Amino acid sequence: MLENPGWLFVAATLLPLISFILLLIGGKHWGRVAGWIATAAIGGAFILSAIGAAYYLPHSGLFGHSHSSEAKPASQEEHRGASHTHGARREHNHGHEYSSLLERDPAEPPWQGGLVWAQTSSGESGQATALRLGFYVDGLTVIMFLMITLVATLIHIFSTGYMAEELQPQVEDHQAYAVRAGRYPRFFTYMSLFCFSMLNLVLADNLFQIFISWELVGICSYLLIGYYYERSSASNAANKAFITNRVGDAGFIIGSAILWTYCGTLTLPDTVRLQRNAKGEMVRELEPGLFSRLRMPNKDTHGDPLPGQLDKYFGNFVRVAPIKPAAEVADTRYRLAENGGWVLVFGGHFHGEDLTEETAIAASSAPTNMGLSVMPYWALVLAGIGVFLGCVGKSAQFPLHVWLPDAMEGPTPVSALIHAATMVAAGVYLVGRAFPLFAPEVLLVIAYTGAVTLFIAASIALVQTDIKRVLAYSTVSQLGFMMLALGVGGWIAGLFHLLTHAFFKALLFLGSGSVIHGCHHEQDMMKMGGLYEKMKITAVTMLAGVLAIAGAPLFSGWYSKDAIMVSALAFVVHHPQHILLFLLPLITVAMTAFYMFRLWYLTFTGKPRDEHVYEHAHESPWVMTLPLIVLALFSVVVAWGWPPWDPHASALEHYLDHEMPIYLHPDADNPLQDAYLAPVRKYAEQPEAFPEIQLPDPHTLAGLLALLSAGIGFLLATTVYYWGYLDPEATQQQFARVYTFLWEKWHFDAVYRWIAVRPAMVLARICRWFDLYVIDGLVDGSARATVKISQWDGKFDLGIIDGLVNLTADIIYAVAAWLRHVQTGLLRNYVLFLALAAVGIFALVSYILALVG
Amino acid sequence: MPYDTFRYFEYDLWLMSGIIFVPSLFALLLLFIPKGQKNWMRITALAGTVITLLLSVFLLVDWYQLLDTYRLTDQTGHTLAARADIARIRESARGHLDTDLVARRPWIARFNIEYFLGADGISVPLVVLTALICVLAIGASWNIENAVRGYLILFLILETGMMGTFLALDFFLFYVFWEVMLLPMYFLIGLWGGPRREYAAIKFFLFTLLGSVLILIAMIAFYFADLTPLRDWLEQRAQQTPSEELRREAQALEQAVRQRHGSGETALHTFDILLLHKVGRESARLEWDYQQAERQYEEVLASRDSQRIEQARQHRTTIAQLKERHQIFSPTFQFIMFVLLFIGFAIKLPMVPFHTWLPDAHVEAPTPISMILAGILLKMGGYGFLRIAYPICPWAAYALAWWIALFGVISIVYGAFAAMAQTDFKKLVAYSSISHMGYVQLGIAIWTSMERSQFWNWGINGAMFQMLAHGLSSPGMFFMVGVIYDRLHHRDLHRMGGLANAMPLYTGLSVIIFFAAMGLPGLCGFPGEFFTVLGTWNFTPPGSEWAGKIFAILAAATVIITAGYILWTLQRVYLGHRPPSPDLPEITFREFLCALPIVVLAILLGVWPRAVLDWVEPSLAALLRDLASTHGW
Repeated sequence: MLENPGWLFVAATLLPLISFILLLIGGKHWGRVAGWIATAAIGGAFILSAIGAAYYLPHSGLFGHSHSSEAKPASQEEHRGASHTHGARREHNHGHEYSSLLERDPAEPPWQGGLVWAQTSSGESGQATALRLGFYVDGLTVIMFLMITLVATLIHIFSTGYMAEELQPQVEDHQAYAVRAGRYPRFFTYMSLFCFSMLNLVLADNLFQIFISWELVGICSYLLIGYYYERSSASNAANKAFITNRVGDAGFIIGSAILWTYCGTLTLPDTVRLQRNAKGEMVRELEPGLFSRLRMPNKDTHGDPLPGQLDKYFGNFVRVAPIKPAAEVADTRYRLAENGGWVLVFGGHFHGEDLTEETAIAASSAPTNMGLSVMPYWALVLAGIGVFLGCVGKSAQFPLHVWLPDAMEGPTPVSALIHAATMVAAGVYLVGRAFPLFAPEVLLVIAYTGAVTLFIAASIALVQTDIKRVLAYSTVSQLGFMMLALGVGGWIAGLFHLLTHAFFKALLFLGSGSVIHGCHHEQDMMKMGGLYEKMKITAVTMLAGVLAIAGAPLFSGWYSKDAIMVSALAFVVHHPQHILLFLLPLITVAMTAFYMFRLWYLTFTGKPRDEHVYEHAHESPWVMTLPLIVLALFSVVVAWGWPPWDPHASALEHYLDHEMPIYLHPDADNPLQDAYLAPVRKYAEQPEAFPEIQLPDPHTLAGLLALLSAGIGFLLATTVYYWGYLDPEATQQQFARVYTFLWEKWHFDAVYRWIAVRPAMVLARICRWFDLYVIDGLVDGSARATVKISQWDGKFDLGIIDGLVNLTADIIYAVAAWLRHVQTGLLRNYVLFLALAAVGIFALVSYILALVG
Repeated sequence: MPYDTFRYFEYDLWLMSGIIFVPSLFALLLLFIPKGQKNWMRITALAGTVITLLLSVFLLVDWYQLLDTYRLTDQTGHTLAARADIARIRESARGHLDTDLVARRPWIARFNIEYFLGADGISVPLVVLTALICVLAIGASWNIENAVRGYLILFLILETGMMGTFLALDFFLFYVFWEVMLLPMYFLIGLWGGPRREYAAIKFFLFTLLGSVLILIAMIAFYFADLTPLRDWLEQRAQQTPSEELRREAQALEQAVRQRHGSGETALHTFDILLLHKVGRESARLEWDYQQAERQYEEVLASRDSQRIEQARQHRTTIAQLKERHQIFSPTFQFIMFVLLFIGFAIKLPMVPFHTWLPDAHVEAPTPISMILAGILLKMGGYGFLRIAYPICPWAAYALAWWIALFGVISIVYGAFAAMAQTDFKKLVAYSSISHMGYVQLGIAIWTSMERSQFWNWGINGAMFQMLAHGLSSPGMFFMVGVIYDRLHHRDLHRMGGLANAMPLYTGLSVIIFFAAMGLPGLCGFPGEFFTVLGTWNFTPPGSEWAGKIFAILAAATVIITAGYILWTLQRVYLGHRPPSPDLPEITFREFLCALPIVVLAILLGVWPRAVLDWVEPSLAALLRDLASTHGW
């Protein structure tokens, strides 16, 4: 047994880094070997993750023998909430209990470790003094590792075939009209760097490290989108991707700075670290993470349970209000208040009895080890929105979604790996990972962002003809589904869909890559058609992907989409004013089915529309079809449970359920009163507890509605594009304005050009102008003025001063001439003059000396 | 060798003097090389800079060891002030190999001017950086063909000036070195520069001279103050609070006063920067005490309790008397002096709106001189803030923190936007320098109270790290521009493109350096910016609660503009497929050797900033403790 199996995941993360370094230094001349090295590295990472997962599974709750299952008999049906684990969860991994972590066996998950990356010596230790690099492996990390390494390995294998033409010494780029050297190794160099960064992102235990990885995956995305940098479209798309992401990253930095300022740490879970105490001995010390600093723990730092009447705050933000209205003094007193403007931060040592509802709480406005501190509620909301803005950028959500479709300029395997399965899902992952940080207001923003995104993107996908762009918009839309789910409290649903989507979207992209490869880089679906005959494996595997994304029963997408719809329904039932959050996804389910089947029919069925493309089309080699088959298999079965036809029996869903942040669980003897989410979760899991709501079982209702909607979409697509009952051209002309609006992607690019890009450029020019003409104008002007003045000065010198001097000289001359008469030639006269002069000089000198002295 | 041989051997004096004067010695040597032996001249100059680099590495190792010995025993013993005090106290009883890295010799005794050198975590990294960039710049000077001897001599004198500025602890000595930098730079730009070199050189000269004059005025003003009252005050404090540090300070000051008395003076006038720090600190503390007493009195007045009012009034009177007697630098005096010093150093930094000399000087200067200018000379500004302006005038620095931070943010934003609009490659890099140095100013400015001092510490550390990072990435960028200028003979961004295919190795190295400037994590530009922004949110100067928050948002949002102009530049220069000229030779081995250390260090500092922070942070933390203690000690 390993003492800390978390290191397996660290090793898995470092393997691609090693590959990157090797390829960066020597890869240029290694040709095909470069691809093998990168593939071996990521394959090795998969194997290590699988071993790690094998260590983890006994703890996962999937097999039902969790710590306290005996203590608490299951009160609900097995497949609903897996409630037998709730008791365990209370002592489990989300850091709501201070004492247990110190005595915990490091072999028990979650596995942790880390080191200090930068630190300062001012301030109390643990209070905004150290930025750490660390790993935190819980069930979510494990499953993300498995997904990422598996998908990445398959895509690497696919790429060794897809990128093969880069092995030639000379490659002709038809789009850029250029002939250039092949750069096969470079592709795999970047891919390795990406894999490292992505795994590091998932491994990280703190926001700072996530931010590092966040930017690194961004730069890999930049490099790979710009892989064909001879094409200006590719380099433009790369710039757009990175700069748009930086907008989100700026938000991420601000969110981090806020949390850092008020909470004093960026680490998410609680960590144990070795610390030198006053005597210089190394001791194990517990450092609470952001989660337990912001949400009420169930015990104080002395291990005593909190007073009973505070139970309702457990796991929630604790709002307080200052007792004195003006909180000017640093140490002021607060009291618990329903909607107080401040939130308690549990960053230091505190006693349970300080927290009673009657007495005032002494809290500092700075993070401190010696007690509680407070942060303004608006700052908490702003921090959440800031971090979420990072997620908006990375996951291409409205309004920053514009970069992802353009990112399709990169090679197709890149689109599959980075822009479908992993990197763009990082935003969703982070929302899930940092979920306990988000205030209800932020969650609502997340939900609406998701809802708007999924609708807009799907509507644009309806009319696109470039096969990859359809998939890109579909990705944006599906990510919107995930965000929506998270925003309405469907934590499981959102991450569940992330996992299933990774497989079927990678499959769809690789399938499209196979088509594009077979059609010699033709991407326009209008020039395809009837390709089923030519590439059967691609067509069939892609059909599996299409069915999965459309939500056909028994395919993986069905389970996860169902979960999302249930969450949305449960939310809307409790907050009817947000009915759009259910209607928009419901409509979009139909649109999804429509555009996906449209894509499949246009590509593979009907008559070939371009003879030239059709004639040269061919099935891809086995290195490309094998990954397709494996991915197709996963797209079908990855969400299965027993029985498969029960949409809520999914094993993957159960697995995630065990990892859910504790405060989301509706637990009978643990009354969570988070007004925003708790009833929603409870209703989704135990609808019978809400007799006042006159609706059928939400699972049945949402499932049926979604299925109906998808069916309509499927039928419509089949009518138009397979049976040909409706002419798409005619429809286009009938709705010309709508069509143009969608074809122009809701004019986002044009709008951004006018409100962001142009103003920035104008501002830049203004700055340059200001520099050249105002500042330098002043500088040069004053220089010229000085020169002018000195010229005048010169004239003054010449005319007046010199004039005076000359005048003096003249006078002296005249006097001298007159004096000539004095020049008597007599010695005594000379002596007299000398003596007078000496006295005069002496007087002058002594006067000056007196002045100085 | 018997131990006694080292009895009076002041190792650190010779080491630091070596670092300063070895370049000048080699400049002297250059005079004797026969005419026309250009390569020998270059090799001599290279040898000079390499030896200086070696010596500065020794200094770094010594500093590291010194810090290590103090880390466990005496928390504050490693500061320059403590070491200088100990050295002064022990002066009579010196009997060991002296490695405390402070060295003091009388120079112009009439005016109490000393040859006073010292090194700590603020100066050592800058000294090493200077030595390194000088070696690389000599490497980059290899293709300068006209008047090589003169060029190299001026270059080496310039290095002496820079090293002296970083190591001097006597204000007069500092000022002399500061001026020694100025003239060689003027000639290097004015004689070896581009077509508008004369304009640029004069502009550089006048701007910098203006700054120097302001510093000179402040220096003379400080000198005219009599520091004797400080002695009584420190003694009084040392009696009240028994602390090793205070006792040491009082004793050392006593020694200094006695020494002056010994040479027949009645008053203590000094150029000793460390002593001036103490004066500034204590003056600010007295002022703080007085204001507290006054506030307390006003509060008590409202209570209408005559006994308490009387007590508070008496307390206030006592403090006022103390202030009257011992406060040497009054608030008004500090304000005036601080503004003078601040502008003097801000011109060097450069801060908007005193920045316009920089783009012109850079555009016209030859590549190696641009490297020095961006890599080292700009750091003089930040160093001046940390070593002189802030510690001597803490009262004014705190009161003006809002303005300093504001101008820092303006520099960040303005520089970034101005960079985006440039079409001259070199000018773009020059404006990016202005933006990046804005982070230095912002990081230093975000003064916070003692109990939240860790945030300011992040800011100062961020500023220091940013200076080093910029000291690597900016010379790197200028070097890369120089490489392409040598091949194309123009720097017009619109007429470039496609270099990635023509010069792949060159492109790879450049992209890493440009990414470092963009602040990409894993490279050196990231930690400094990130630390600064992390610290800025907390910045709440009195009366403007929102300042820090708005500044943080602006500073963070500028990373978008930075990414914009850098990526756009990369696209215009390296991407695409039509190289601007059919035959572009790949970078030569010499050029590769010049770029490689920068790339390697950029990666090292980005991946593991503790490689530097661990031995820099203690000095910064000590400085911060002293400064923050003036407001609520």
